[in-house]
Amino acid sequence: MTADHHVDATVSQRVRRLESLLEERGIITAGELEDAIETFLASSTPLNGARIVARAWVDEGFKSRLLADANEAIRELGLSMGGGLQEQRLKVVENTASTHNVIVCTLCSCYPIALLGPSPGWYKSEAYRSRVVRDPRGVLGEFGLELGDDVAVTVWDASAESRYMVLPRRPAGTEGLAESELLGVVTRNGLIGTAAV
Amino acid sequence: MRSWPVSEHFRAGDRVRVRTGDPPGHTRVPRYVRGAVGTVVESQGRYPLADERARGRAAVPPEPVYTVRFAACDLWGSGDHSVTVDLWETYLTGDADDR
Amino acid sequence: MSRINDVGGMQGFGPVPADLDGPPFHADWESHVFALNRALIRRGIYNLDEFRDAIERMPPADYLAASYYERWLAAITTLLDEKGVVGDAELAGV
Repeated sequence: MTADHHVDATVSQRVRRLESLLEERGIITAGELEDAIETFLASSTPLNGARIVARAWVDEGFKSRLLADANEAIRELGLSMGGGLQEQRLKVVENTASTHNVIVCTLCSCYPIALLGPSPGWYKSEAYRSRVVRDPRGVLGEFGLELGDDVAVTVWDASAESRYMVLPRRPAGTEGLAESELLGVVTRNGLIGTAAV
Repeated sequence: MRSWPVSEHFRAGDRVRVRTGDPPGHTRVPRYVRGAVGTVVESQGRYPLADERARGRAAVPPEPVYTVRFAACDLWGSGDHSVTVDLWETYLTGDADDR
Repeated sequence: MSRINDVGGMQGFGPVPADLDGPPFHADWESHVFALNRALIRRGIYNLDEFRDAIERMPPADYLAASYYERWLAAITTLLDEKGVVGDAELAGV
């Protein structure tokens, strides 16, 4: 930890110096970055993903539209993929009794951050990026997720301009829950595929 | 002189082979699929080629990007899963016959 | 030539650090680097593909030793220097 703090202090100074120079040159304005961070974190969160999943679980029509054209369908919830530098194509892939999906970007860790916010630290790691395409069951096992032999696994490598989100299966026993109650069932890892839900 | 693909060359279900090029700069073909044969899942629309954009070029014409599915067994000789990779048309050829 | 970022199927990285979760930014400088990159791209100083390219051009040992946002910072400063916006020397304060 001490080493981290030392590195942090140096890097922190470097970043501050860089910002000063850019402000001097009129390339950024003071306070602009703080505002942008605040706006981003407020609007881009895994809760958006949970809302999409909960709606898909209770509304078959919405689910069909979501799987066919996710960018369009999420607008029905007041959500959009447009919060970033450009609107990216969102592809939602559905887990079923016979198929389990898991998402990665082996080349750099692309993730639907405009919708869900920043990716988890492990998602960015070389360990995850290198292994999940080669041994997804092994990686999922490390997350505590064991899949039956009758379940086919598909790994989606987001190597171009599409961003992926998993539609997990609705767990048994949630039939009585209202849409708003279902929100709490969905986890961030479920949206990536390293958890069942 | 390579010409830009002006129409979508591949359709869902087509077998395609990833080119075995070794580009000197930025590219979005993971090493593990170079030369591999896969099946087109769908077309994602048209986007400017990342390799060209990375050279700082602004006006790069968009070309089709495809979701291509590969069997792990074909990529590594073992594994029962499949991997899909999103690939620009420039990265692909229709020459997918077994050799 | 393949670059160090192209790790799909590469072995030796060990178990996935599944416990590596927590806040999106571990320090203020990380969130600033994140926002700065977006601001610079929005202003057309460089594009996202140039940014990825700059990360990939890091010497492999540096890439692997750097944290995620340290890589971002390296790419940003490389591009700003190459494009004559902020030179490496003036950033270092020499």
